[in-house]
Amino acid sequence: MKHLFKNQLWALALLVFAFSCNDSGEEAPLGKYDTGVLIMNEGNFGANDGEVFHLDPGTGTLTKDIFELENSRPFAGLLEDMVLEEGRLYLVANTGKVEIVNPGDFKSVGAVIGDLDQPRSLATASGKLFISDYGPYDASYNTPDSYISVVSGLDGGTVKKKIEVSNKPEDLFANGKFVWVAGSEEGKLEIIDADAETVAKTLEVEGSPVLFFEQSGEVWVYSYDSEKVYFQSLNLTNQTIKEETSFDVPNAMGKITFGEDRKIYILTSTGWPNYEDAVAVVSLADGGVGLDWTTGSGFYGIGYDKARQEIYLANSNAFQGSGTVTVFKNDGTEVAEMEVGRGPSGFLFR
Amino acid sequence: MPFSANAEEKAGKSQMSQETCLDLLILCFRRKSKKDLSISLPFSGGSFQFFLFLFKPESDLSIRSGMTLLLWVFSFVGFAAQDTVALEQVEVYAPALDRFAQGQKVVSFDSKLLEAYSARSLGDLLQEKSPVFVRQYGAGMLASPSFRGTSAGHTAVFWNGLPINSPSLGQSDLSVLPVEAIDQAQLQFGSSGALFGNEAIGGSVHLGSKTEFGKGVKARISQSIGSFGMFNSAVSGGFSSKDFSTKTRIYRQFAANNFDYRDLSLPGTPEVKEDHAQVEQIGVVQDLAWNLSGKSQLKAAFWWQKADREIQPPMGSSTADLQSDENIRAVVDYFKFGERSVWNLKAGLVQDQMIFNETRNQTRQFFLATDYDFEYETDWKFKAGARATFMKGDLSTYSAADQRYEFYQSASWQAAEDLSLSLNLRQFAYADGFEPLLPGIGADWKLLQREKHELLLKASVGKGFKVPTLNDRFWEPGGNPDLLPEESINGEIGFHWLKSGLFSWDQSLTYYRMQVDNWIIWLPQGSVWSPENIREVQNQGIEYQGKANWKTGKWDWETRLSYTYSQALDLTTEPESPHQLPYTPEHQANGNLSAGIGGLSLNLSSFFVGQRAIGTGNARIMDSYQVWNAGVTFSKLTWGKVQFPLSFQVLNLLDKDYQVLYLRAMPGRSYQLNLTIHL
Repeated sequence: MKHLFKNQLWALALLVFAFSCNDSGEEAPLGKYDTGVLIMNEGNFGANDGEVFHLDPGTGTLTKDIFELENSRPFAGLLEDMVLEEGRLYLVANTGKVEIVNPGDFKSVGAVIGDLDQPRSLATASGKLFISDYGPYDASYNTPDSYISVVSGLDGGTVKKKIEVSNKPEDLFANGKFVWVAGSEEGKLEIIDADAETVAKTLEVEGSPVLFFEQSGEVWVYSYDSEKVYFQSLNLTNQTIKEETSFDVPNAMGKITFGEDRKIYILTSTGWPNYEDAVAVVSLADGGVGLDWTTGSGFYGIGYDKARQEIYLANSNAFQGSGTVTVFKNDGTEVAEMEVGRGPSGFLFR
Repeated sequence: MPFSANAEEKAGKSQMSQETCLDLLILCFRRKSKKDLSISLPFSGGSFQFFLFLFKPESDLSIRSGMTLLLWVFSFVGFAAQDTVALEQVEVYAPALDRFAQGQKVVSFDSKLLEAYSARSLGDLLQEKSPVFVRQYGAGMLASPSFRGTSAGHTAVFWNGLPINSPSLGQSDLSVLPVEAIDQAQLQFGSSGALFGNEAIGGSVHLGSKTEFGKGVKARISQSIGSFGMFNSAVSGGFSSKDFSTKTRIYRQFAANNFDYRDLSLPGTPEVKEDHAQVEQIGVVQDLAWNLSGKSQLKAAFWWQKADREIQPPMGSSTADLQSDENIRAVVDYFKFGERSVWNLKAGLVQDQMIFNETRNQTRQFFLATDYDFEYETDWKFKAGARATFMKGDLSTYSAADQRYEFYQSASWQAAEDLSLSLNLRQFAYADGFEPLLPGIGADWKLLQREKHELLLKASVGKGFKVPTLNDRFWEPGGNPDLLPEESINGEIGFHWLKSGLFSWDQSLTYYRMQVDNWIIWLPQGSVWSPENIREVQNQGIEYQGKANWKTGKWDWETRLSYTYSQALDLTTEPESPHQLPYTPEHQANGNLSAGIGGLSLNLSSFFVGQRAIGTGNARIMDSYQVWNAGVTFSKLTWGKVQFPLSFQVLNLLDKDYQVLYLRAMPGRSYQLNLTIHL
């Protein structure tokens, strides 16, 4: 879901770009994947069958495996994140690569192949790629050597530098020449100077930070622990935490989406052995909390289509094969269900 | 002709001699008979077959000719006796059918085929020469069998009668069962829990050593070299007298597996070299047998093996996992022969250790079994026995022990000259439960018996079951102690048509139907995976196997063809429109054509695997593939008294780019040269 927020963050930039195109009278025609919904299917461990599906919500037409369809080769990785920045769509595979495609036609324009371990997400700054990476597992399956990879150029290439950060970095957010890192395991935000390629500042936050998002003109970071979820707004100028709001939402996961009226939908799971999943809803507007907007098992991703005001809920179906996406109206009424790829985990609404 | 003798269905061939085998055995002991003798000595999980015959050591004559020496030779599972009883020298032809397995499909691999595959794994053999689909995770990597659309855990695997599946994993990796280590291999299809016990749901694999007496000193050195760093060596030597037999074999099999493949995960799909699939296996097999007296025999077998492997990652991953498997298997059998009976006492040990990277898992199993086999009149045969299993697992996340006690009874009735029936029962007690009745019934009915033709109808119904593995129950976290056993019921009917003469054939056609319930699947429950009895599967299919032999001038020709249609529908998620199970091809076939003249033989073979989904539902469908192999063998090269057969094989002759499992690269064309010296 991180891509969703990236999309929102960059929506302004895209709008500016779009208007500038109008001004020049040279607006490029939309590609077939520039509209609709991109469904991110993570794939199954050991099978590397991650892929992207495209949904035209107007017609209900679902196109499978569009990376393979447009490039005549499979994605061949576990798709962790999709990041739309600088007119490119970055497909981050936690099996050790980043594929870069043209978002309109999904044709490959580049890749980062070597010298990555478990990439998680990506941001662009100063004409470079910054890729968060868990690093290799040690003998105890810990990841003490996490890092941010730096790649010169927006179309991929080789890793020129690895910047050591706290364990298990997740989402990245670029603000000018600074790249913010959500250090999930140690509860840190690390701010990287993209020019110097060093960590310039580190902040401590409540919970396990996993996601940056824009809300009401401000950038926030979402974090959680076993009992609560936290939303902390950032002062980008001073590089400090401005405001913190928390809600009593136990068993939250890292996957959330943003509805109308500053509502935030959060996936929760009791995990093993009871294993009860739910969608909780909290409101930044009035502080309301609802823990069971819907319940079930196998919830693996969530997204919100602002244009249609619909909630997309992904179910992994235990990774045995095809996953399922169910579409709801705001009031919880189910409007559609479709079979998608393996391990659907997020959406990008174009 | 290394490929000239393929998997062969022997069902029905042995009927003639079964009725009287015990009588003949006894007579033979009394040295009153000059006929060939064969007897099955079943015990839990399998059965031994005895062959007694008298022969002149220097002679190739058939049994009916003058014979001067009493020999015991026994082999594993089933009968060898054919209508012609033309046993060659002292070689005991691999038996095919269990004494109480009427109506069941059994496939035997003959010694020539095993010899041809001696530098390869059991997984390769089954994939290329049987109806079994083998899920191969790369060259030399994990290879798990799928009988009739079931999973690897639904296949019982025996070595010399010992069940050798890992008690923690509930399955065997066929890639670390080298053909070099065994003398006999047979496959039984369908649920047969009554005869073979735990895990015989889709079928069972029976491997074994073959012990011989009266052969004097024998030695063999074999060296194979091949593409991708293949370098296999084997040395075996043995001595056998009238009452004592010993055979030792030592082998090392190495493959760098540095083959080129097209990496689909990289832009431009460049050709790259596999750099993490090296495999080395070393092992020792020791067989011993004694005739303690005229009425008792002791047999022992020991097998140690160590396999070190770099685990080949799927395309798109760069993992560098290492796996080391070390196995110790040992079995001792004592046989006591009565007037019309055989008593068997058996003890065994199976120890498995697997180190994955730095994680160590070890299990031990001890077996103690006994059974009593006897005949009443000439029409009835009975068997009753018991087996106790003690197992202990010291895994990376838990330690656990378990005990199992089994009792089994079998009866076979020759109802008429052309009709034989069998009934098998088993009771199975384990830690958390008791399976009071596992039945199986079968019949063989000779529909037609003409001068050159014989048509046999075979039908059977049986149940199978599988106790949850130690990992299923105890793995921390996620183990589920409340799991139920997996259960199945299988019915099949088939025809077996034999034609003799200048143009002879041997054809069989089987239809089966099976239902598997409480199928255990590991499912994610948050970040923890836990097993559940979730899947219900309905299987049905058709299996055809045919063989024909003929001569043109001085050339001997043989062709074989096998086709399998396998439908395995997952009734779990969408029972109204069920899908085929993942990685279960509906269509599979293999064929073989060989021609021989003198000591020269040429061979061309192929196997085909149809489309298969990589997951449930409408998951990605993988392309079908067909792979061709070819070979030439000079089997009669000699230097003085030394024989040194030489063979050359080309595997994947057409350099087919294929994957068995998604994104698991397989080697292209490769070459193997084998020289064997028989001293």
